[in-house]
Amino acid sequence: MLRVALVGCGKAAENHVREIQKLAGASLVAVCDLEPLMAEQLAMRYGIRKHFSDVDAMLDSERPDVVHIATPPQSHLLLAVKALDAGCHIFVEKPLTLGYADSQALVAHAIARNRKLTIGYGFYFDPIARTMRTLIAEGVLGEPVHIESFLGYALAGPFGSCVFADSEHWVHQLPGKLIHNVIDHLLNKVAEFVSDRATIHVQAWQRETNRHPACSMPDELRMMLLDTDRSAFATFTSHAQPVAHFQNVYGTKNTARLDFEIGTITLASTAALPGAFGRLSRTFGQGLQCFRQGTQNVMRFVRSEYHTLAGLNFLIDAFYESIRQDGPVPVPYRDMLKVAAMTEAVFAQLHEDRSLVA
Amino acid sequence: MTVLVTGSTGFLGTAVVERLLAHGVRRIRCFARPSSNTARLATLASAYQHPVEVTVGNLQSVADIERALVGVDTVYHLAGGMRGAPAGIFLDTVVASKRLVEAIESSPVRRLVLASSLSVYGLADVPADRLVDESTRLEPHPERRDPYACAKLRQELIVQERAARAGLEVVILRPGTLYGRGGPAFSPRIGLTAAGWLLQFGGNNVLPLSHVSNCAEAFVLAGTSALFAAGPYNVVDDDLPTAADYVRRYKREVSRIPSIRCPFFATMLLSKWAERWHLSSRGQFPRVLTPYRTATLWRGHRFDNRKLRAAGWTQVVSTRDGLSRAFDDLRARQHASSRRPHAAH
Repeated sequence: MLRVALVGCGKAAENHVREIQKLAGASLVAVCDLEPLMAEQLAMRYGIRKHFSDVDAMLDSERPDVVHIATPPQSHLLLAVKALDAGCHIFVEKPLTLGYADSQALVAHAIARNRKLTIGYGFYFDPIARTMRTLIAEGVLGEPVHIESFLGYALAGPFGSCVFADSEHWVHQLPGKLIHNVIDHLLNKVAEFVSDRATIHVQAWQRETNRHPACSMPDELRMMLLDTDRSAFATFTSHAQPVAHFQNVYGTKNTARLDFEIGTITLASTAALPGAFGRLSRTFGQGLQCFRQGTQNVMRFVRSEYHTLAGLNFLIDAFYESIRQDGPVPVPYRDMLKVAAMTEAVFAQLHEDRSLVA
Repeated sequence: MTVLVTGSTGFLGTAVVERLLAHGVRRIRCFARPSSNTARLATLASAYQHPVEVTVGNLQSVADIERALVGVDTVYHLAGGMRGAPAGIFLDTVVASKRLVEAIESSPVRRLVLASSLSVYGLADVPADRLVDESTRLEPHPERRDPYACAKLRQELIVQERAARAGLEVVILRPGTLYGRGGPAFSPRIGLTAAGWLLQFGGNNVLPLSHVSNCAEAFVLAGTSALFAAGPYNVVDDDLPTAADYVRRYKREVSRIPSIRCPFFATMLLSKWAERWHLSSRGQFPRVLTPYRTATLWRGHRFDNRKLRAAGWTQVVSTRDGLSRAFDDLRARQHASSRRPHAAH
C-alpha cells in the first residue's frame, strides 16, 4: 500500500483527494497547507487522518511514498525538490514550474534521486485520448499532418471569478497570468505530435468586454506551430459559448475529432459513394457514430465509468503502478519538457510583442 | 461612531448599509472587493444625501484589513463564500474571518457583529416538534453537511475562539432564508429546481424566512443597542408561511412552474437511494441528497426568535408586505427575462 501525502489544500486539491481515495493500492495519509484551516477542512471533509501546516514536519512524521503537489505554481519547484530529497516520488500539478530551465532542473533532480515524477495531465489520459492513440498506432488515421487543440474557459466559473475578484491572486504573478495556469491542457495535446524544432507564432489579447481596471491580462490566445511536415493550431478562448474543449487530429487517411466536454471521439472519413450520395452517406455515417458513442457513454454511465476526471484517475493509477513496478512514467519527461519549452516560447513572444502580459 | 461593513455590496450588505443610514449612523465604511459593483452603495448615499466611504480590498490581505479598520468602533462582518468550490467557500468564509479577527485584536474595535446562519445547528437527530433556539447544539458532523454549512460552523467557532482571547464582544446573528427584492425565488428549504421543474421537499414545513430589511435591522441593532449581549441570535420573521403556501402563491403571482411534491418519508427514501448511488458510482452521481441533509433541512423544525425580540428587534417590513413585494419583484424579473431577445435570433 503506497502512503500518499498532498501539499496545497486549495481548489485543485479536491480532485486529487477524490481520485486517490478511489484507488485500492494507495492510502492518503496526510494533507498540508500553509494555512492550517485549509488543511483542517480538507482532512475533515474527506476523513484524512492527519493534517499539517509545515511540509517538513509532514514529510518527517509521515514518511510518504508519494507526494502530490497542488499548490500555486510559484512553489512547485521548492516543494518538489524538498519531497524528492525526502525520498518521495512526486505528482506535480500543471504547470510543472514557472520556466523551462526550472522544469529541466526538476526532471534532472528526480532522475538523479532515482525517484519518479509526473504532472497533472488528466485529459492526456481521458478515455477518448487513449482511443485516439490506439487509432494512430493501428494506422487508422494514417500519418498525422495537422492537429487542432481548442480550450474554452469560463471566466465566470469558480476559479475565473476568484482571479478577477482579487488583483493579488497568485495567477496575476505568473508570467502568462490566467492563460499560463491552463496552457498545459492546450499544449500537451500538440506536444506529442511535433518535434523540438517546431516554430511558434502566437497572438494574444484581452477582449474589450472583459476589461477590468484591476486585472489586465490576455484572455484570448491563438497559436500556430509549424514543423517539418506537420502543423498545429491551438486556441484558447474565454468568450466563445458553449465552453468547448476539443482536439482534431487530421491524418493522411482519416481525421479524428475528440470532444473532451462530452467524451466522444468520431472519425471523419472519405466518402465511399460518389457525389451527392457520398455527402448524404457521410452525414448519416457521422450521425451513426455519434449515436454509437452516445450509447457507449450510456453504458459507461451505467457501469459508473463516465467520470469527468476519468483521465486523472487513470494517470494517478498508472503513476502509482510505475512506482510499484519501477516501470516507465505515464507522461514521458520529453513531452513534459516540450510543453514547458513551448510555454516559455509563447510568453517570451508575447512579452516581446506587447506589454499586455508584462 | 464609525462602522465597517464587509460584504457590503451583497444582498444583505446593501440592506445593512441602508438600515444604518436610516438609523442615522453617519460614518459608514464599506469594504468591497476590487471586482464588486458599488453602484448600489452610491445610490443609497445619494438617496440619504450622505456619503458612504468605500474601501477596496481583499479580506485575505492583513494590510487591506488594517487599513479598513482605522478609526472603526464596530465591524459588521457579512462577507463570505456561498457557492463555487468548497475550498473557495472555506477560504472566503473561515480564513477571511480569522484574518479579520486577528487584525481587530490590535485595533480599537470593541464589537463585531457576525453574519452566521441557521445551518450551524445539528438538527438531523432533533425531533421536529422541538423549537430550535440558540441553546440547540451545533452540528456535530459538519463533514456530512454541505461545504457552506461546514464553513459557517467553523467560522463561528474560530471567531469566538479568537474574540475570547482579544476581549472582543461578538454578536452572532444566524439568519434564516433571506428574501426580498433582488433575492432568489426558491431556497433549498423549499426544494430543488432542475430543468425548469421544482422538486418540492419542504411540504407543510414553516419556512424560516427573514426579509432582508428585517435581517438588516437586526444587524444594525446588534451593533448599536446595549440590549444585544454578546452571543448568538436566531434571525427569523414572524407570521411565516409554509413551503407549500409559498409555492402556491409563487405559482399564482409569478409563474406556473411545474412541480412535484415529495412528502418527507418519500424524500428520505429518495435520499437513501441517491446516497447509495453516489457511493456505488464513486461520485459519478453527485451528492445532492443524503438522509442526513434531508433530516436536517426538511424534517420540519421551527426556529425561535424570542431572544431577538427580547433584545428590542421588531420587523420593519411585515411578512405579508415583504412577500407581496418579493413576488412583485420576481414577477417583474420574470417578465423582463421573457421579453429579452433570444441570443440565437
